[in-house]
Amino acid sequence: MANLEREALPLPTGFRLSTGSFHKLSALLTLVALVIAFSFGNDAFLTVNNGLTVLLQTSVIGLLGIGMTLVIITGGIDLSVGSVLALSGVVTGLAVKAGVPTAPAMALGIVAGAACGLVNGFVVTKMRITPFVATLGMMLIARGVALQLTGAAPISRLGEAFGILGNGSLFRIVEKTGGIFPKVVFPGIPYPAILLAAVAIAAAYLLNRRQIGRHIYATGSNEEAARLSGVLVDRTKIFAYTLSGALAGLAGNVLMSRLVTVQPNEGVMYELDAIAAAVIGGASLMGGVGNISGTMIGAFIIGVLRNGLNMAGVSAFIQQIVIGVIVIVAVYIDQIRNRR
Amino acid sequence: MVQQGESAPLVQMTGIEKHFGGIRAVDRVSLDLHAGEVVGVLGHNGAGKSCLMRILSGAMIANEGTIRVNGEIADIQNPHQARDLGIETIYQTLALADHLNAPANLFLGRELKTKLGNLDDRKMMGEAISVLRKLNPNFKNLDDPVSRLSGGQRQVIAIARAIYFNVKILIMDEPTAALGPSETAMVADLVKKLRSTGIGILLVSHDMHDVFELCDRVVVMNKGRNVGSHGIEDVTKDDVLSLIIKGELPGDWVPRGREMVQ
Repeated sequence: MANLEREALPLPTGFRLSTGSFHKLSALLTLVALVIAFSFGNDAFLTVNNGLTVLLQTSVIGLLGIGMTLVIITGGIDLSVGSVLALSGVVTGLAVKAGVPTAPAMALGIVAGAACGLVNGFVVTKMRITPFVATLGMMLIARGVALQLTGAAPISRLGEAFGILGNGSLFRIVEKTGGIFPKVVFPGIPYPAILLAAVAIAAAYLLNRRQIGRHIYATGSNEEAARLSGVLVDRTKIFAYTLSGALAGLAGNVLMSRLVTVQPNEGVMYELDAIAAAVIGGASLMGGVGNISGTMIGAFIIGVLRNGLNMAGVSAFIQQIVIGVIVIVAVYIDQIRNRR
Repeated sequence: MVQQGESAPLVQMTGIEKHFGGIRAVDRVSLDLHAGEVVGVLGHNGAGKSCLMRILSGAMIANEGTIRVNGEIADIQNPHQARDLGIETIYQTLALADHLNAPANLFLGRELKTKLGNLDDRKMMGEAISVLRKLNPNFKNLDDPVSRLSGGQRQVIAIARAIYFNVKILIMDEPTAALGPSETAMVADLVKKLRSTGIGILLVSHDMHDVFELCDRVVVMNKGRNVGSHGIEDVTKDDVLSLIIKGELPGDWVPRGREMVQ
């Protein structure tokens, strides 16, 4: 990922400390500082097991954050991802219940997410509704559809295959001890973490090496200029919203698979975590600025903070306060730098 | 100088109309541009000249009227289509994406790609260096986002972008308004050079000096109408000012060439 971005000439990621790399560096240092601080606080924090737990917990926010980053770079915002996540899970769950095999059912859920994103894109570009309002509407619509379809009840007993995506892992090493519980030598890399890494690399490649990525930056930087330069601005935006919806669908499937239950009221306020991850990672809500590696750092700052504070016995309420403060500080630091 | 009647004009706009609600910004305007001709498009702010230019460049769609390019009807719906017809525009606002660097702006909308369809940033950078240095030998900081470049450098990017890609019809909207004297001279040289290669240029300008130095013909707009199209030898600055301000030539006007005979 880092490699991909260094090769991309047109982004301000040179070796001179440009605004973008300064922000990324400070975010990375924050992440490292957090890890060190929590390691001193609790011996169980810096262990392979806990590291993998953080990876697992961060993967959903990470996936949402990647889609959010694309939309934010175009100068928009997608408030619907939390609800779309739930709707996609519901679609998958209902499909499984209707007898569709797990893999195609999950694909169906992701397509449903992409369809929500496509509608967002159309409302934003063709109906010229501001992204905030358009995706706020979709947030209510998708949540409403998810609750209506399920009668607000969770869908369970979805079969063992349904749980593999969220609970399976690669390179799991188990030693047979002869007892009831085999000894786990290495718990394996969770599939969600692998998925996140693959999606992050693909998204970074898209943004930095493909024309559509260049057009996403140009659209957010100066929409009128992009249009006059022959960039198909509407198509570019629709692409970003559709991808954000699809990734919300993927995140929904990962999450519901982890729970092995479809919860139509899952993912409330997740959009705010996704936005926070992107913003901590240096994305600007004014558009034209942002990158995937920054958002990943942002997502992990949130993930590590939640995990570490949990282990330290800090309440969920205090965690919210801390993350809120971090978002504001991150943007404030960025602004101070840009003002110079 | 102006070879009229020989071949179809490069651009022929006829009966162009554009209204916003009840306001007629462009009122049945016709305008011809021939190959190798520089036509000054003049008028007050709000006279409709920018609107007319935006219609030709695809940034705006006319309510009525037809545009012909090389004699064939061109249905220009967006800037992309205009560019495909060889119509390039240097906008007064420059239309640059501030967060992207010079090569990315130069190739915005028609990026060079490798065989695999990836952006060929190395090639774009190489091309950008050669084309930008041709216009300004001191051009530096090609890696920086263009928001950090000087006004002159930004103008050079906007100009380079318009002339790099097989331009046939060039619209220049106040190209020298933000430039210093040496850069203005560079633009003037460029206009002459492009004209000699058979490119048709529409020059929107307030600067009478530029207009009389560079243009073969002037078209004056007033309140959305084309109030006069005159060869530059036939008119004086006062005549043009009268057209701009009053929408008509002075009462005692005769073409300058014939003045001598009388």
